[in-house]
Amino acid sequence: MNLSLSPLVELLFFPGGLVLLASGLVYEFVDRKLVARFQNRIGPRWFQPLADVIKLLAKEEVIPAGVVKGLFIFLPIVALTSILTAALYVPMFGLKPAFSFPGDLVVTVYLLSLMTLCIGLAGANTEDRFSLVGATRALTQMFSYEAPFLLALLGPAIALGTWNIGQINSAAGNNLWFIIAQPFGFIAAVIGLMGKLELPPFDAPEAETEIVAGALTEYSGRGLALFRIGRDVELVIGLTLIASFYLGGLANPLDFLWKTLILLLVTAALQSLFARLRIDQTVGLWWRIGSIMVLLQLLAVVVGRLIAPLIPFLSSGG
Amino acid sequence: MTTPMVGVIEKVKTWARVNSPWVIHFNSGSCNGCDIEILATLTPRYDVERFGIKLQGSPRHADVLICTGPVTLQARDRLVRVYEQMPEPKFVVAVGSCGISSGVFQGCYNVVGNIGDVIPVNVYVPGCPPRPEAIIYGVVQLLKSLQN
Ligand code: SF4
Repeated sequence: MNLSLSPLVELLFFPGGLVLLASGLVYEFVDRKLVARFQNRIGPRWFQPLADVIKLLAKEEVIPAGVVKGLFIFLPIVALTSILTAALYVPMFGLKPAFSFPGDLVVTVYLLSLMTLCIGLAGANTEDRFSLVGATRALTQMFSYEAPFLLALLGPAIALGTWNIGQINSAAGNNLWFIIAQPFGFIAAVIGLMGKLELPPFDAPEAETEIVAGALTEYSGRGLALFRIGRDVELVIGLTLIASFYLGGLANPLDFLWKTLILLLVTAALQSLFARLRIDQTVGLWWRIGSIMVLLQLLAVVVGRLIAPLIPFLSSGG
Repeated sequence: MTTPMVGVIEKVKTWARVNSPWVIHFNSGSCNGCDIEILATLTPRYDVERFGIKLQGSPRHADVLICTGPVTLQARDRLVRVYEQMPEPKFVVAVGSCGISSGVFQGCYNVVGNIGDVIPVNVYVPGCPPRPEAIIYGVVQLLKSLQN
């Protein structure tokens, strides 16, 4: 766990860079396969995400009329870069985070949101009406899940008294698992991640039956490939974050594997269980139920921390 | 770059292309019989995701255009536009007898002709309407021809 690699190797291959991209593709495959099995299908072959990405990279990239060209080309790059940067602060594969500083939790969460922001901008950049509707929906959805998701991650952080992901990760392992201590926070975090990744039932921003392909309608080839990889890596990072916060921390790669895969099983099951929500239903769900649940949870955590010194029996739960 | 390198890259590209054909479906005036069969092809019963085939909504994301029916005066421009919106390399599969010869609609006042008259077609799937197995077979023939 305390391996020290040279920073360049860390950035390019492991745990950043190539291995991260590869793990994103593997997790996409597992996700698609699980959903297929839940729908009683055989599902894709193991190399499917890789073939998709290579094919997209080899395709022509059409730059439609009416877009700001620079923005059109750079947005996918910014999206992927921010996601890869976020990975540096997260205990990927159960290893120590490559970099860390007090308060990196907030930075990581906002780097993860940059992806959605880029998708929104990409949609607003083109003249296509479907992209515009998709962009509006993506940003609306972002405003609804972002606060509860952040609050859900803050629950363990406040309980442990540190906003450093690495410290939370190691401290979470020594405590009662937060999924038991703060069940509402866990639910909000998992569902928030699904909203972030626009997985069903929160896929209104890219609903192909209504608005073609949402904000990314006009993207082809390279841009689409980068957005896809970005989303895959975001899936891995999100699962890692939730597993390290709520499932008792990630002490080693094996821990990482089984905890994230169980989380993936849960999200895949939710994906195949529910039908798509309308955008107003999504927003209503988050603001009426999600945020109130998480706020109550947070209140309980804060009160718990205040009265914990008074009652020695409670002090381990948070 | 040296020639063997280029050869390997080309092989990888072809491999990816053959294993991940994303399709878009366009009806240029068919009676809807063929479209129902195409939708049946995409159901879990036939599970075309096994071969990496995925239905896309946007022509910008698609590799294969699956067309049905004769081309009507109204649909002609749209068909050409959808075809031109697709990024290269792109392929067209015409499904149904109408796509081959305008079928029962031949000679109608509002029909321009078959799909081959308007855009280049790679594979024709005959039948009125063809069964899902035949449509899958047609796409497989297209992928086979790509490999060579
Ligand atoms: S081939 Fe037959 S089923 Fe298909 S569009 Fe023509 S008439 Fe309809």
